[in-house]
Amino acid sequence: MSEYILRTSQLSKKYKNTLALDDVNISVKKGEIYGFIGQNGAGKSTLLRIVTGLSFSSKGSIELFGENNPSMLSDAQKRTGAIIESPALFPNMTAHDNLEVHRLQKGIPGRESINKTLELVGLSETGNKKVKNFSLGMKQRLGLAIALLSDPELLILDEPTNGLDPMGIAWLRELIKKLNREKGLTILISSHILSELHQLASRYGIIHQGKLLEEISAKELDEKCRQHLRIKVDQQAKGATILESTLSTTDFEVMPDGTMKLYAYLDDVRKVSKALTDNDLVIEHLSQNGDSLESYFRELVGGVEDE
Amino acid sequence: MSNQIRAELFKLQRNKTFWVLVLISTGISALLHYLVIIEWWQMQNTAFDRAGLSEFNAISTFTVPLFFNLIISPLAGFYISNEFSNSSVIKNQIISGSKRSHIFLSKYLVFTIGSIVLTIIIPIMTAIIEVILLGHGDILTPSTMLYLGRAYSLFTLQYLGYTAILILIAIITEDSGKTIIFSIVLTIVMFVIEKLPNIPIVSMIYNNSIFNQFSEVFTFSMTSGEILKSILIALVTLIIITLCGVIVFNKKEIK
Repeated sequence: MSEYILRTSQLSKKYKNTLALDDVNISVKKGEIYGFIGQNGAGKSTLLRIVTGLSFSSKGSIELFGENNPSMLSDAQKRTGAIIESPALFPNMTAHDNLEVHRLQKGIPGRESINKTLELVGLSETGNKKVKNFSLGMKQRLGLAIALLSDPELLILDEPTNGLDPMGIAWLRELIKKLNREKGLTILISSHILSELHQLASRYGIIHQGKLLEEISAKELDEKCRQHLRIKVDQQAKGATILESTLSTTDFEVMPDGTMKLYAYLDDVRKVSKALTDNDLVIEHLSQNGDSLESYFRELVGGVEDE
Repeated sequence: MSNQIRAELFKLQRNKTFWVLVLISTGISALLHYLVIIEWWQMQNTAFDRAGLSEFNAISTFTVPLFFNLIISPLAGFYISNEFSNSSVIKNQIISGSKRSHIFLSKYLVFTIGSIVLTIIIPIMTAIIEVILLGHGDILTPSTMLYLGRAYSLFTLQYLGYTAILILIAIITEDSGKTIIFSIVLTIVMFVIEKLPNIPIVSMIYNNSIFNQFSEVFTFSMTSGEILKSILIALVTLIIITLCGVIVFNKKEIK
């Protein structure tokens, strides 16, 4: 079986004159937590809606669990659980009855799965309380319970922390990690709050204005976000030579704008500065930096907006 | 699809609107039958009169689309349309990987069952119970029962077409209020067409529609040809409207 649970190929969605998705190719590997990052309106929900069958693409294709025949996709969708935008619940029913509807729909045998799932999301004590009387956080938990009831292999969560308080967010984060770790559940989670994903995802897809800008693993991202000295000198080529010869390091990279990112000598900035000035270079900029996911995202998106 | 039907039946059982409508239908039906049987309300020249079942006259109210629609359109609105608007629970059904055509057909089937309970079974049951309790049980002879059986079998067939129209409206509008209003407008239009002076093309269409059949099927004596025509009209309507419903639902973007 393919190592990919989900792959999209040139997926596009057009609403009248707006291109909500533009040739998006994402790939989610088995067992990973895939963070889907983008601003509001970037196209995250549109893509997730197409993957879950709520909406249709204008162009392109989806491969889910190795199945890419559109008429057979619904069978593959049975192996997924999802919350898209907001949890869809019957307000006049209890949490148990909401899950019972879903259990019957999916043909899950035995009612014990309901109590087990309610316990997992911390709603086992809600009794006869109707969902309309639930807090936003409780509704979100119940939505998650519905998504998890059938023991899916792929869990799709669209902005799952909406409406959750900090405690709720921490709880959800731990639950996602636990499900991934213990059950090997593959999780595709979208958010515009980047710090949430930074603590969770093993790979990221960055989408902006309907275009997938980059897919990057957490390791690669950490590498890119490493602490470094950002150096700009008047003669970039000479500067690079000096770093190699005088400071004996190759642990640096030259950026397209001519600045250099030096990952060594972080605690000896004076030595770097001296080496450059002793060789008649004018230092235009020297600072210690470390990208956060936010600044990396801003830089990436900014680049697109400038084009 | 059996899973979908079981889930829909569970939802119907938990649907408040359905139980309120059961109470309303039972109350109205019991009251109307009582008023007719004690002859406080005298209805004349009904199909039931001609069949020797004048104590059943109140049932004829429930066979008029303008009236029975008032009972079942709220069910279409609050049981079907609400799933698209207020709670968006339809999302869960689609996400669960069930085929859209199965989802539509299970909703149609269970909505039809609910509607039949509300406007066919309840009025007939209350009529039979009241007729017996008020001492008129002797009118229930094999021949009148045969008439009722034939008339209601044909009526139910036409009714399947009507519930298909209602669910189609509910799915297109996605709003309970609009579903109720559009269905009322439809029944008013049909009522007006029925009363219109003869415009050949309109009369031809109306006479071959389920709306005309709703009254025709209660004719005391029907020939085999008329019965066949009635069955054909019902089946053709049912197939066409259900197919339209499946196509519309299959192409629908769920918000």
